[in-house]
Amino acid sequence: MIPFDFDYFRPKTLQEALQIFREQMAMGKKPYYFSGGTELITLGRVQLAKADAVIDLKKINEVRACRIDGDHIVLGSCLALTEVEESNLFPLLTKTASEIADHTSRNKITLGGNIRGGIHYREAVLPFLLADSTAVIVSAKGVTFKKMSEVFQGSLRLENDELLVQLITERKWASLPFVHVKRRRQWETGYPLVTVAALMSDNGIRVAVSGLCAFPFRSEKMENGLNSKGTGIEERIKMALDGIPATVLSDVEGSAEYRMFVLGNVLRDLVSELEGGIVV
Amino acid sequence: MRTVGSSVVRKEAWQKVTGTAKYTDDYAFAGLLHAKMVVSTMAHAIITSIDTTEAEKIPGVRAVLLGGSYPLVGEAIRDRPPIAVGKVRYHGEPVALVVADSPVLAKKAANSIQVLYEPLPVVNSATQAFEAGATLVHEKLGEYKRDNEIHPPIPGTNIASHVKIRKGDMEKGWQECDSVVEASVSLSISDHAAMETRCSIAEIGPDGKIKITTSSQAPFMVKRLISQYFGEDMGKIVVETPLVGGAFGGKAAVQLEILVYLASKAVGGRPVKLRNEREEDILTSPCHIGLDATVKLGSDRHGKIKAANIRFLWDGGAYSDKAVDLTRAGAADCTGPYAIDNVWCDSYCMYTNHPYASPFRGFSHSELSFAIERTMDLLAEKVGMDPLTFRKINAIMPGNTTPTRVLLNNSNVGNLPKCIERVHELIQWDEGEMIALDERFVRAKGISCSWKTSTIDPDAPSGVILTFNPDGTINLMSGVIEIGTGTKTVLAQLLAERLNMDVNNIYVKMDVDTQTTPEHWKTVASRGTFMAGKAVLQAAEDVIRQLKAIASCVLRAPIEDLDVADSRVFFRDDPGNGVHFKEIAYGYQYPNGNSIGGQIIGHGHYILRGLTHMNPETGEGRPGPEWTVTAHGIEVLFDRRDCTYKVLKAITVVDIGKVLNDKAARGQVMGAMSLGLSFAGRETFVFDSLGRVRNPQLRTYRPLHYSEAPEYMVEFVETPQIDAPYGARGVGEHGLLGIPAALANALSTAAGVSLQKLPLVPEMIWKAKEHVRP
Repeated sequence: MIPFDFDYFRPKTLQEALQIFREQMAMGKKPYYFSGGTELITLGRVQLAKADAVIDLKKINEVRACRIDGDHIVLGSCLALTEVEESNLFPLLTKTASEIADHTSRNKITLGGNIRGGIHYREAVLPFLLADSTAVIVSAKGVTFKKMSEVFQGSLRLENDELLVQLITERKWASLPFVHVKRRRQWETGYPLVTVAALMSDNGIRVAVSGLCAFPFRSEKMENGLNSKGTGIEERIKMALDGIPATVLSDVEGSAEYRMFVLGNVLRDLVSELEGGIVV
Repeated sequence: MRTVGSSVVRKEAWQKVTGTAKYTDDYAFAGLLHAKMVVSTMAHAIITSIDTTEAEKIPGVRAVLLGGSYPLVGEAIRDRPPIAVGKVRYHGEPVALVVADSPVLAKKAANSIQVLYEPLPVVNSATQAFEAGATLVHEKLGEYKRDNEIHPPIPGTNIASHVKIRKGDMEKGWQECDSVVEASVSLSISDHAAMETRCSIAEIGPDGKIKITTSSQAPFMVKRLISQYFGEDMGKIVVETPLVGGAFGGKAAVQLEILVYLASKAVGGRPVKLRNEREEDILTSPCHIGLDATVKLGSDRHGKIKAANIRFLWDGGAYSDKAVDLTRAGAADCTGPYAIDNVWCDSYCMYTNHPYASPFRGFSHSELSFAIERTMDLLAEKVGMDPLTFRKINAIMPGNTTPTRVLLNNSNVGNLPKCIERVHELIQWDEGEMIALDERFVRAKGISCSWKTSTIDPDAPSGVILTFNPDGTINLMSGVIEIGTGTKTVLAQLLAERLNMDVNNIYVKMDVDTQTTPEHWKTVASRGTFMAGKAVLQAAEDVIRQLKAIASCVLRAPIEDLDVADSRVFFRDDPGNGVHFKEIAYGYQYPNGNSIGGQIIGHGHYILRGLTHMNPETGEGRPGPEWTVTAHGIEVLFDRRDCTYKVLKAITVVDIGKVLNDKAARGQVMGAMSLGLSFAGRETFVFDSLGRVRNPQLRTYRPLHYSEAPEYMVEFVETPQIDAPYGARGVGEHGLLGIPAALANALSTAAGVSLQKLPLVPEMIWKAKEHVRP
C-alpha cells in the first residue's frame, strides 16, 4: 500500500516524457520516471521513495529497443531483465541479469531501473562497465552519448532532466570469455555478499564488482593487480584486493572480513577459469 | 481399512488451488474502518512525546489511540500494555493506533505522528538479561497480576519464570561418569513468516455484542481473554476464524484482536480492520523464541548416559505472554529422547528488549534438540563411540521415566530405536560419516533424534457436532482451525472410517465461530487429530446409536442385529435389507404419514486424561499424554575452502502410531523439515547494539526458497498409541524438531569444528574454523 497520491502519465515519445517532466518540476512537483515500478512500489510503501507525478515510459519505442545494429548491440533502458535474458544478445549480461532478484520480479525490473536504482547493488551495470558501453542519454538539450565509465560513478550520474534511453555495446565484447559469480550470505537467494563479473580481453582480465562496497565499480587498480604478469597468483590476488576503491561493507549479509575472504576465492577461481586453469 | 491411511484430497483443496479461498483480510464490507499502528523505532526508551496533531487534522481519521487507559494484558503474566505507556520495551512495539476511513488514510495519518524517545540501556540477549545487575526490562515485575503461581516471576530480576527439574541423585550420577562434556549453544529470535500476515476485524453492536473475525489458531482463547482483560460478558463475544494462511504457532498468541477491539470501542463500535504489513508481522507481532543453553552430559565407559545438567535461558523478549509456557515445555522434555536417571535442569524465561515470543512449531523442542543433540555428538566423540550407536543405546524406551518422572509404556511413547535403524539405512551410514570427494569438497552426514509431548492445559477441551442433510450426507463441525494442516479432512476420514461410508458424503465446516462451533481449545501442539479425532469418534458412536434406534423400529428388529455402512442401517446377517440414512436422519415417515424420530444431531467431546501440574521444586508431574519420537539425518555437500554447502538430503523417520492420510502426513513432515532447515540455515533476526532488528523485511529476512530445498525422505514407523484414534500420534511439528541439530552435526563433521550457533551460514562456519586454526 502506497500512502501517497500521484498523477500518472503515459507519454508516447521521449519529447513528450521530457516535457511532462519539465512541467511537473515547474509546478513544484516531484516527477518520477517509471517503467517496471518495483522500486516505487516496494520503497514507496515504507516511505523510502515518493513521487507526485509518475511518468510511465513503457509506450516509448526507443526505450524498448532490443536489437543488433551493425557492430553494436542496442538495448533499451526499459527492457525487463527477463527480456534481456531471453534475447541473449550479450551472454555475460544474460548471466548477470538472471541472478538478480527472482524470475517474477525480473519480469518487471528493467535494465535502466536496476542501473539507476536506489538499492545499491545495481548489478546489471557490471557487464556494461566491462564492455566500455555507451549510454544514450536524452534531455531538453538533445541526445548525448557518454561512455559508461564516465557517466556511471558508483551510480548513474544524470542531471535532473536527463533520461537514460539505451545502452550501446560493441559486439566484439559479447563473444569474449566471461565469468559471472554471485555469492550470497547463504544458498541461492538474496542480495550479494559480492557479485563479480569478468571478461577476458586482449589486454587481460577486466573485472567489475557489486555488493562489496556501497556501490558497484570497475577498478583499474584491481585489474592491474590481477593482470600483473610474472607474479604468483597469491600476490596477484593480494594486489587486486589492495585495489578495492572504497570501504568494504559490514551489514546483515556479512562482515567486511568475510566479504574479503569470499572475494579472494572468487578472484582465484576466475583467474583460473579465464586463464585456462593453469595457475602458478 | 477403507478410508484411514488413504490420501484423501483435502476438503478445501479446490478453493485453494483456484485462489478463491477466503482469509480474514478478504472480508470487506461497507462501513468498515481501517486501523494502522505506529510502532517503536527503539528497543528500550522513554517516550518523551507523541504528537498526533497532524494525524487528527486529516479528514477521514476517526480516532487516534494512545496507551495509558487500558488494562495490562498477557497470558501468564499481565505485563503488556496493548499500546505502550511511558516507555517502549522492544523495536516494533505499538505506540499509537490510528483508525480511519481507508487503509491509505490510516497509513498517512500514522506516518504523520511524531514520537520522540529518550534511549535506555538495552538488554540485548537472554544471557545479558541473566547477568547480575542487568538492566531491568520490567521494574515492577512483582506487581503484575498473573495466572502462573507454580513458576512465578522473580521481582528485581529479568526472570519471568524459573522451571526446575530435579530427578535422581546428581552426585551419584556424576560419580558414575567416565566421560563428561559441556557445551553452550545459542540461537537468536526469528520469525514465523507465514504467508498470510495476521489480520483482525472487530465490531461492537448496540447490544454490546462483540464480533471479532481473526486469523488465529485460538479464537476460543480470544473470547476468553477479551472477557478476562476487559470484563466483557463471554456470551457477548463471538469470534470467527475463516481459513488461516499458515500459522506455525505465531497465531496462537492474542494481540491484534485486542487492538481492534479497543479501536472499535473508540469509534462507537463501528467495524475496524487491522492487517499487519509484512514488517509489522515480523517486528510487532510475537516471534520465534531465542535460546542460550548450556548442557553438561556424562556417560560411563559403556556409553550409557548417567547424568545431565541443563540450563536454558529462553529469550522471551519484552513481554512474557506464551514464553512462560515455552520455558516449561522445554524443561519437561529437556533431555531429548534419552533415558537418563539423574537430571538437573533450570529453564529460565528471560525478559529482554527483543520482540516477544509466541509459540513456534515444536514449542521449544527444536531449540532444545539443537542444544542436546550437539552435545550428544560431542559426548559420543569423547566416549569414542559412533554417534548413531550412542543414541541407540541411550534411546528412551517403555519402562524408562521422562525428566518429569512419567513412566513410559508401550502406548505413550513410540519406538525410537526403530526410527534410528531406519535412518541408519536411508542415509547409508555405513559408507561413512564423511566422504572426501576431492581436496575441497566432502559429503558429510549428521543425525539427531527428538521427541515431544504436548504440554497443553490439563483441562483443554475439544468438541464435535454432527448434523445430517436430508439426503443422508453428514456435516462435521469442529473447532479445529484449518491452518493448512488438512486436519479437518483427516477428521472426516475418521468419521467415514467409523461409519464405514464414503468420505465424499461428509461435509466439513471450515470456518469456525465460537458461538456455534463446539470448542477446540487451540489449534496447536499437534493435538488436532488426537483430541478432535477422539471427539469425532464419540460423536460417531452417538449418531450410530440414534440411527440404529430409529432403524430398529422401522426394520422391526433388535438394535444388536443391525449394522451401519455406506450410509445405511441394515441387518447384520442380510445386508441387502435395510434403510438409507436419508430415510431416517430426519425422522421416518410411514406410508400413511405417521412419523417417528426426528432430526439426528450427534455430539462428542474429549478432554485429556490424567495430566498434572509440574511440582515447582522437582518438576515431577505428567505434562502431556504421549511422546512422539523421531530420528533425522542430513547429508550435505561441503566446500572446505569456501565454507559453503548444499543440503543434499534431509531424512525424517517418525513413529506416527498410525498413518491416517499418507500424503497429508508426508506433507506435514516435509513442511516441518523445510521450516527447520530454513531457521537452521538462514533465518534469524539480526540485532544491532541498540537491540533494533536490522532485517525486518523479506528482502533481508529470507526463508528457504523452493529452489534451495534438498531431497526430502520421509518414512513412518507405526507403534500405535492405544487410546488414540486408530492409534495415530501427533505429527504436525515433529518433522522439524531434530533438523537444525542434524544439520549442525553434519556441518560440524564436515568443517571439523563444533558449530554451536544458529543460523549455520557459511560466514559463521568460516569464523569457527578461523577461531580454531592453530
